[in-house]
Amino acid sequence: MDNSTQIVLAIVTLLGSAGIWKYAEARLRVKAELKKEEKSESDTILYRDDLRRRVEDMDNALKEAHKELLELTQKVAKLETENTFLRREIDILKSK
Amino acid sequence: MLTLKKKIETIVAELTLRYDSLRKIWQYSDSQPTEITLAAALVTLYPIATYLELGYSPIMQLLAPIAGLYQLYCVSGKCLSCRVRASFVTFSFYLLAGVMYLYCGLLFQGPSYWGWILLAVSSFGSLKRIKKEELHRKNG
Repeated sequence: MDNSTQIVLAIVTLLGSAGIWKYAEARLRVKAELKKEEKSESDTILYRDDLRRRVEDMDNALKEAHKELLELTQKVAKLETENTFLRREIDILKSK
Repeated sequence: MLTLKKKIETIVAELTLRYDSLRKIWQYSDSQPTEITLAAALVTLYPIATYLELGYSPIMQLLAPIAGLYQLYCVSGKCLSCRVRASFVTFSFYLLAGVMYLYCGLLFQGPSYWGWILLAVSSFGSLKRIKKEELHRKNG
């Protein structure tokens, strides 16, 4: 095999291998980008689910707090009435 | 009849699993040992084999060992982009050997010559693995 043939074959092979590699590299890049996007999407979904769960927890806590507040208001009203009666009794006893 | 069908299904499922496992190992396993083997073959066997079978060719017998040594240097340096470059050069040399053998009409004279194709495929696989690792590190 003469030198010129060798050089031509080497150049053709080099160009061919470069072409193959460029194609494979581009495919790998696209796949990596897609994977990255999928990962970020799954992160967003996880974050959204976490937020939803937290909102539900906070809503339940708010309902509980409302219930407790109502009970406390009732108790205060009851005590105020009792207090008023007791004061009146004390006044009656004092005036005797 | 039903048992035989179930057995076949189990065997097919097992084989599919094994195939997937092999594919994953081929795509993601550590490629340094393969790179070292390919580089060592490029330094030692490549020039001797091509000289004995194809005759004197300075491109193959002088440049290939340099490329092999460069790959060994890159593997020892743990630099990914350097390894990608070196693997590409190694792949090109193995492909060149395949093309030269094909041109000289030796490639189909015996199955042992197909080893060059095998080496080209192996170096290409190794090249893809390193590139994947590089992209994975970049993307996090």
